[in-house]
Amino acid sequence: MLGLFSTLNLASHSLQAQMTGIEVTGQNLANVNTTGYSRQVVHITANPDIQTGIGPEGTGANATSIQQIVSNLMNSQIQSQNSTSGYWNAQQSALQSGQNDLAEFLSGNGSASGASATAAATGATDTGLDGQLSALFNGFQSVAASPTSVSARQALVGQAQTVAASFNGVNTQLNSINQSLNASLTSDVSSANQLLTQIATLNSQITSAQFNGGNANDLSDEREQDLENLSQLTNISTSSGNNGAVNITIAGQTLVSGNTVNDTLQTYDPGNGNLLVQTTKGQVNLTLTGGSMQGTIDARDGTLATLQSNLNALASTLITQVNNVNSAGYGLTGSTGNSFFNGSDASTITVNPALVTNPSLVQASASPTSPGDNTVALQLAQLGTTPQAGLDNQTFNGSYASTVADLGGALDDANSQVTNQTTVTNMLATQRSSISGVSIDQEMTNMMTYQQAYQASAQLVTTVNTMLTDTLAMKTS
Amino acid sequence: MLMRVASNSYTNAMLDQFNTLVARQNTLQSEVSTGLSVQTPSDNPVAMQNTLNYLADNATQQQYSANISTLQARADTVDNVLQSLQSASSQASQIATSAGNVTTNSPTQLATYADQVNQLINQVVTAANTQDPATGQYLFGGTASGAPPYTTTTGANGDVTAATYNGNSTVNQVPIGSNLTATVDIPGANPGATGARGLITDQQSGADFLNHLISLRNDLQAGDTTAIAGTDTANLQHDENNISFQVANNGVQQTKLTAAATFATNNTQSLNQQISDASSANIVNVMVQLSQAQTAYQAALESGSKIMSLSLLNYMPA
Repeated sequence: MLGLFSTLNLASHSLQAQMTGIEVTGQNLANVNTTGYSRQVVHITANPDIQTGIGPEGTGANATSIQQIVSNLMNSQIQSQNSTSGYWNAQQSALQSGQNDLAEFLSGNGSASGASATAAATGATDTGLDGQLSALFNGFQSVAASPTSVSARQALVGQAQTVAASFNGVNTQLNSINQSLNASLTSDVSSANQLLTQIATLNSQITSAQFNGGNANDLSDEREQDLENLSQLTNISTSSGNNGAVNITIAGQTLVSGNTVNDTLQTYDPGNGNLLVQTTKGQVNLTLTGGSMQGTIDARDGTLATLQSNLNALASTLITQVNNVNSAGYGLTGSTGNSFFNGSDASTITVNPALVTNPSLVQASASPTSPGDNTVALQLAQLGTTPQAGLDNQTFNGSYASTVADLGGALDDANSQVTNQTTVTNMLATQRSSISGVSIDQEMTNMMTYQQAYQASAQLVTTVNTMLTDTLAMKTS
Repeated sequence: MLMRVASNSYTNAMLDQFNTLVARQNTLQSEVSTGLSVQTPSDNPVAMQNTLNYLADNATQQQYSANISTLQARADTVDNVLQSLQSASSQASQIATSAGNVTTNSPTQLATYADQVNQLINQVVTAANTQDPATGQYLFGGTASGAPPYTTTTGANGDVTAATYNGNSTVNQVPIGSNLTATVDIPGANPGATGARGLITDQQSGADFLNHLISLRNDLQAGDTTAIAGTDTANLQHDENNISFQVANNGVQQTKLTAAATFATNNTQSLNQQISDASSANIVNVMVQLSQAQTAYQAALESGSKIMSLSLLNYMPA
């Protein structure tokens, strides 16, 4: 039999247990908006019975543990999907920049805003190199139509300058994107190293806490958040170490082992200025398989490099073909042998400054004694509709349209992947949240439950106290 | 078993839905305001490629139209010159016919005719040196059109004694369609048996208008009515025939240009339709979709605000 004092003690333990429940509820409510927080529950366990003559008698209850509700499976899936999301987000961002800098857009005049079933037929105009190339070859035609007209030649030279300036501008912008992507990669590597260090430190703190018999719920949440951030940067493999530590492997290299950062990441230049990633100590070149780092690398060395290469080929072919035809002709002054374009690719193409100063030097005639002849101007104009071997047997405009479509296709694909990944990650986040997230309704219910139990235990104390007082009164009276 | 729903799931899901609906509205609004369903390459890469190709073709067609306009304006100028030359040729023939009739002409009358022919010579030289008002290009110098095609030599009395052609017999072809060219240029002289027929001098037709006028004037001044009635009259007939040929040929070229202009306009309209099909928005559909998106957005906002404001907390005693 417990007796009044033991019952009072039982009530005291009960009060503590319910108070712990209230505390954990408060902790959950306080972190309802904390990113990565996993809800906690308090486990209240009945104390061992004592045997009495009338059977086992309970001795109350104690709060025995505070458990974090997590799903390692969900965490693992989210890390994996984060890596994919990071990859496509980086691709999308890089390719969007490429599309913006190419500046090949269709613009409308709003004439289609009426109630007609189809848009006005003449609504679309393009803003980039496509229209400028057309204008250049049309400029040659205008000279062919009026070969002695200096104003037609001035207009032609102006169109050529516009084309050259666009090539230069796009090339400069693409170089700028390249540098930005290198900087982004370097920044990602730096962030990854910081996260590796943080995770190793958290490993140390978690193992220490658990070694001493405690728990490290909030530290585990923090580490999980770091792992998810790291997985956005690159694809990681994790394995469980001793006492709750997590080991991290990237591209086959174990970088964090327990409390130790074995190695970190760094960028290196393979020789072409396009940075890649390797381990710092071992200098092992890594083949990453996901995350924003590889997304950046793939966008830079894939679609954007192809875009720049195609534009260079386009500019180079334009320079060569126009110069080949033009140099054989004769200007209004009888000049011959002059180049029309200078330079060799998109970065260097310019109009021969002599033509800018004196458009009469445009060599449109096939004869030095016939300045009004348009034979060469016609040949130059025909270049616009002639398939070019250097451009996969496409015309200049056709090749450029293919290049634009390739970039658009890659970005469209990235956009779709990002949308899909957003759906997947949102779904996983909701799923995980259904397990680990804090529900205010649930916590309020728990709070009322613990409050009621606390009030009941307090009433028990009051009752026992009254009984003790009554008992003592029996002695004194 | 029902899935447990955490409090933040509401807000996160709602935020995603709001973002999706706002983005959708932005896209549709942009389509309505521009009339285009494709504005960037990534909107629809294939449609963008097709549209760029159509636009390039369209630009070429528009250049053909511009070339045709240039040639039509030039053909009109050429036609005016031809009309004046035809008039001069007619006058010269009348003078030769009249002067060749020996019974009706006195020396004074012949001298008057000679003066009239001198004026005709100057008119013809001026006409042969006509420039295109738009470009300044000499119309009858062939491709050597940087300088006046005809220069004259005058005698002591101021009469033109010789006319020299400084041009050539080549003419420029100008594109007016795919694999289609035209020319309205006429060389001042073509001494060869092939190529475009010369306006003033042409071996194929036997025309040599200026020299024939000079001969007529010389014969008038010399009173050689036999030559006037014989050689001069016959020569002037060659000139008149040649000018008539040029007038007819100019008409043919103008008809060709008109047909080409119609063809280019039709091509442009066809390409515009293809551009529209590839890139334009179907406004009715877009407006309906925009209305749907707006309704969905309003519903999401309204339902969200109601759900967000509720929890068990609202029903707990203070």
